[in-house]
Amino acid sequence: MEAKENAAAASAPKKTILDLFVEGARSGWTIGTTSLLPNVIMAFVIIRVLDITGLLHLIGVVFSPVMALWGLPGEAATVIVTSFMSMGGAASVAATLFMDGKLDPIQLSSLVPGIYLMGNPVQNIGRCLGISGTNTKHYVPILVISFINVLLSIWVMRLLLLVFD
Amino acid sequence: MDKEKTPKAGILGYVAFFFAIILFSGIFANADSWLRVFDFNTLNGSFGTITDAAGKALTFRGANGAGARDGFIFAITLIPAVILALGIVNVVDGLGGMRAAQRMMTPILKPLLGIPGATALANIANLQSTDAAAGMVKELYDNKEINDTERSITIMYQTSASATVTNYFGSGPAVFGFMVCPLILPILVMFAFKIIGANMLRVYLKFVSRKQSTGGAE
Repeated sequence: MEAKENAAAASAPKKTILDLFVEGARSGWTIGTTSLLPNVIMAFVIIRVLDITGLLHLIGVVFSPVMALWGLPGEAATVIVTSFMSMGGAASVAATLFMDGKLDPIQLSSLVPGIYLMGNPVQNIGRCLGISGTNTKHYVPILVISFINVLLSIWVMRLLLLVFD
Repeated sequence: MDKEKTPKAGILGYVAFFFAIILFSGIFANADSWLRVFDFNTLNGSFGTITDAAGKALTFRGANGAGARDGFIFAITLIPAVILALGIVNVVDGLGGMRAAQRMMTPILKPLLGIPGATALANIANLQSTDAAAGMVKELYDNKEINDTERSITIMYQTSASATVTNYFGSGPAVFGFMVCPLILPILVMFAFKIIGANMLRVYLKFVSRKQSTGGAE
């Protein structure tokens, strides 16, 4: 580790700020095209399918009593469910619902931290928990607490957003 | 190993880190003077408009699209923000900004999470990468620097909002334009809940292990 860090420190002065920017920008392009773009398309298609089949309306009705506790319309449940699979997908679903007028700007903003706090369990069970060798007995509490984080963060954002309203 | 825990950050690193905070905080978003150059959305700029038949100005995404095609064009409009944000993050990192963040956060994280300071490097790496940070946690456990419980608490901190900066600036642009708060607010809330979540697990594990030791488990 230390040798690697020293090597990085030694090679650091060779890279100018411009080099660093371009290097980061290149990874931005890669993330944008290989992660964001497919996720956005997935989200748009999911919402279109739900919309045409009438399921979006049904979700809206069924979840509206529960979501009302967080000051959100029933449709917002699709954002939370998508966040189990993909952070980018959930962010795009939220954007789509906003553009369709189903979420107002405050509701959209209040959902943002939760999208990430869910920690994308479908992937992270393998990536974060798996790689670190975390005790499998602790998997369930870790996932449950991630979900609690999501629910609490929406309320906290609502409170903080009062300042910007 | 000691050197690894407290790397030299240098004044440039602190300046770069502070600069990044300013840039993403949006505090100069509505400044009338040249100061608004220190705002991410100012630098991100805007697309020109195209006029439709009725004389209404539209962005190149147009209006009333739907499905995959609309999603594709919408995604294209987001990519400049991702490129710009990750370019800036890499400059800040390259100038030692992440090391400055680590030095500032190590003394805060240790008492807040109740886990050894050796985990600080992994927890800072978690700002940018899920896998690299999780790999570092495994190494810490294998080297017996943390025990099973401490590993789970560290991972609780890491998995909720993992790779915070990369994921937020990699997909957040989908909602940035519609949010009514500074870009940095959701990140601060995520950071707070990473710490709160880790402490919830800490309390839970304490409770469970006590139950097990008195034979009350299962």
